[in-house]
Amino acid sequence: MEISNNNLFWFPLDNAAKIFPAIISDEIPAVFRLTAVLKYPVKIKSLQETALLVEKRFPYYKVQLKEGFFWFYLENLPMHIPIEVDNGTLCKKFSKGEILMRILVAENRISVEFSHILTDGSGGLEFLKTLLIEYSKICGADVSDEFPYIKSGSPISEEEYEDAYLRYFKDDIPPMIKQSKAFHLPYTLNSIPRFEQETCIISFRQIKQVANLKQVSITVYLAAVYLFVLQDIFETLPYSSRFKRRKMLRIQVPVNLRNIFPTMTMRNFSLFVTPGIDLRFGHYTFDEILRYVFHRIRLETEEKLINKNIARNVGGEKKMYIRGIPLFLKSALLRIKFYSLGTRQYSGVISNLGGVKLPSGTGDMIDHFIAISPPPNKMLKINCGIIGFGDKLVLSFGNVTRSKEFENKFKNFLQDQGIYMKMEIKD
Amino acid sequence: MIYCKNCGVELEDNINFCPLCGYPVSYKSNSGLENLKPDRIKKTTLTDFQKLTYSQKLKIFWKIACMIIFSGILVTITINLVGSHAITWAKYVIAVGLMLFINATIISFLYRKLYLLFFLSFLTSAALIFLIDIYTGNTGLVKKLGLPLLLAAYIIVLSFVLVGKNIKRQGLNLIAYSLIACGLLCICVDGIISIYATKSFNVSWSLIVMVSVILISSLLLYADHRLKKTDLKRFFHI
Repeated sequence: MEISNNNLFWFPLDNAAKIFPAIISDEIPAVFRLTAVLKYPVKIKSLQETALLVEKRFPYYKVQLKEGFFWFYLENLPMHIPIEVDNGTLCKKFSKGEILMRILVAENRISVEFSHILTDGSGGLEFLKTLLIEYSKICGADVSDEFPYIKSGSPISEEEYEDAYLRYFKDDIPPMIKQSKAFHLPYTLNSIPRFEQETCIISFRQIKQVANLKQVSITVYLAAVYLFVLQDIFETLPYSSRFKRRKMLRIQVPVNLRNIFPTMTMRNFSLFVTPGIDLRFGHYTFDEILRYVFHRIRLETEEKLINKNIARNVGGEKKMYIRGIPLFLKSALLRIKFYSLGTRQYSGVISNLGGVKLPSGTGDMIDHFIAISPPPNKMLKINCGIIGFGDKLVLSFGNVTRSKEFENKFKNFLQDQGIYMKMEIKD
Repeated sequence: MIYCKNCGVELEDNINFCPLCGYPVSYKSNSGLENLKPDRIKKTTLTDFQKLTYSQKLKIFWKIACMIIFSGILVTITINLVGSHAITWAKYVIAVGLMLFINATIISFLYRKLYLLFFLSFLTSAALIFLIDIYTGNTGLVKKLGLPLLLAAYIIVLSFVLVGKNIKRQGLNLIAYSLIACGLLCICVDGIISIYATKSFNVSWSLIVMVSVILISSLLLYADHRLKKTDLKRFFHI
């Protein structure tokens, strides 16, 4: 299918996106936000010019969600990507007939919000990088032509809007074994609107040092901290509550599959690995958790196991009798599957987008980035998004409960390791 | 350099409004970020009327309607009293005015309860035609003609409203449905009058109206369907 700005093109949802239309609500909008905090206020006229330029390079993001008879699909919407004032409302649900992304601006912040139906964090980050680089160029920054990024005006490859899951699906792979239910945090939910977000900036250099000391990556280290804090919370629960609750602590850590399977896709192409600890075997020290997480992530990012995972996800979609179910029935089934096979098996999510690399001219304008994961559902309650730039690694905690115990314990643990928190802001 | 006092972005020189939030530009203070104290956009760009909820807006409508109706009634009564020293013709205006007042009240306070709204509105309209019948010498036409016609009209309008509310995309199809509703109303009028006049249900002219209406509506519905530009391949992709 060829995409050009003049055609009303369409494409089916990718494999990961298929679940979202069935579960989306005002409280679970499946929208994530990436923010670039600049050193100076945004020059709005230049940004508007840049957005007009950049949106031509990403026509596959100018789409709306439409309902077919068997599946939802994405259809081109010949409108400009909206640039709105950032009034503090985070990750607002996209309504019918809206482009599934928006640019939000206030003071010195440029944010992009994407529906997960459209793309994942890595795809969204590529868009934001192009937007920022082109913006800096319009503002007069000197950017080297050799810096690799999606340049506005460069040809659009068909691979950019392919469903890469389908390309790498291998037939006849045995399905994954269903996992046991996991522990969920016991906190009382906020009243609607529930979602609150807290940002915490730590030194990239220091955390790198601490992780290197343990010979693990930052993702592994922070995932281990996540599990350690969950264990701590579990152990401080009253005995009766501990008895009732599941003793399996398991977290989802998204992995960018583009690093494993070569593709240029700008749509969803990530998968979760699920490190965890079973508290029925007793208390775990931090180093033990670190080893568990390290080996589990290493194992689950092996190509064969990832293939198995993709096969599980894509397998259902390949079956004709599943594809032939009318959409309204399929949505009901997907909703049940989401909670029984998805959320119930996990206690939390930690998503690390890694360090953002920008040319020096653009980088000089930016102080730090913030990655806000989609608001967690009532079961998961809390999640954490991580992104780094320069010496600033930003942790963003999303929370739908009245308790801040998890965030406080997480920060206290890092401080105990000698990691200095430069500032903490409330969004 | 100039900064928007509302959303804090940097603006170009010589503009009157922020291109992002539409806030008027003040050229008095134009220092950097640290001096910005943005009043949140939601609070400032909406007018007082825009801030109101739908029900608050309806209450304002109700108050204005009451003022117009009661001042109309008052003026009519005064003119009638001054002219003929008694309330004669003004009673018709009073009856119609009261009916309008009750209907405005029902719409303003019961707009969410559609069935109750229609039922109460029907009762007031029925009471009005009864009153007018009494004023004009009790002809008895209300029972035989007025009420059946009124009931038919209310049922058809209610059905049309329900159909219209459930249509996802309103366009030519709405005109087609309204034409069909008119056709049905014609059949009811024709039938009720024939029952009154000949004691048997005969429809004549209304059938011609209905056939014409169905033909035109079919054309409109077809045009509406084509306008959707639904690509069957994408709709049924499996």
